Amino acid sequence: MNAEVSLVLQRKYEQLQQLADDPSAQISQVFEKSLQYVRRFSRYQNPDAVKQVREVLTRNQLHEFEVCVIGNLCPETVEEAKALVPSITKRGRMDDEKIETMLTDLATIKKFE
Amino acid sequence: MRIAILGCAYAVFRGDWVGSFSAGGTENGSKMFFHIYLDRNMQLHPRHFGPHLRDKLIAKLIQDVEGTCSGRHGFVVAVTAVETIGSGLIRDGTGFVTFPVKYQCVVFRPFKGEILESVVTMVNKMGFFAEAGPVQIFVSNHLIPDDMVFQSGDVPSYETSDGSVRIQKDSEVRLKIVGTRVDATEIFCIGTIKDDFLGLIGDPGGAT
Repeated sequence: MNAEVSLVLQRKYEQLQQLADDPSAQISQVFEKSLQYVRRFSRYQNPDAVKQVREVLTRNQLHEFEVCVIGNLCPETVEEAKALVPSITKRGRMDDEKIETMLTDLATIKKFE
Repeated sequence: MRIAILGCAYAVFRGDWVGSFSAGGTENGSKMFFHIYLDRNMQLHPRHFGPHLRDKLIAKLIQDVEGTCSGRHGFVVAVTAVETIGSGLIRDGTGFVTFPVKYQCVVFRPFKGEILESVVTMVNKMGFFAEAGPVQIFVSNHLIPDDMVFQSGDVPSYETSDGSVRIQKDSEVRLKIVGTRVDATEIFCIGTIKDDFLGLIGDPGGAT
């Protein structure tokens, strides 16, 4: 999820700053852009909140990419979740109630992070 | 002539921040960000040999690999850890030594059908360009809902007839990738906002 990537890249950036003994080693543009992107679009600032979110989502036996799409986009309604990740309905693994519970859990974590 | 230089087979700078959230295995990041292991043969000139051989090798690896892009893995954003450095092999004819290095890195690869959020960078009458991390995405006006019309002027934008939704430079837009193209050095995508729940973010309900 973007939030996790943001933490990884942030640490790496700090490391790079400390090792600034080699001024010719510029931070690549790709890194810079990615860092800006994940900072802007990560929904959760607190690392504990991120862990909780991951826990909630993996509890429901979702595929890895489903976890990430829902974690990144934070759908608010069940229809939105179904439109963004159609595969959660396909295999009949999750019914509307379960999706609803999951989304409310995420919203709670976000509110109290 | 093959002389194996004493290889360093232990992991170097395995930061604890990598371990703190790879509890679920090696996947770290969204569908587009992946945390994967890659291999590379690094060549090193003998002038770098000495007590800091490993560090120089890793620095060279980072310099070579970070910021590049491959068709298979996408953009390599950052090297997070070096797993193993194998024994070095001296090349015949030159003094260079080749080390096989296995490392872990964060890569960014967009997929077709993926929905992601991006920032608009340029708007013109053919459509608009948006950026998501290192990747550029183009949304053509055919893939923009019909009720949004191009407005030229000081600040070109796409606006609905009642002015409720306005997409201009620096707006955040959620879009779906419909195609990707990989060049030698970058990945370029085509996107759409014509589906449900896509479009400007921050707008209740998104674009219709």
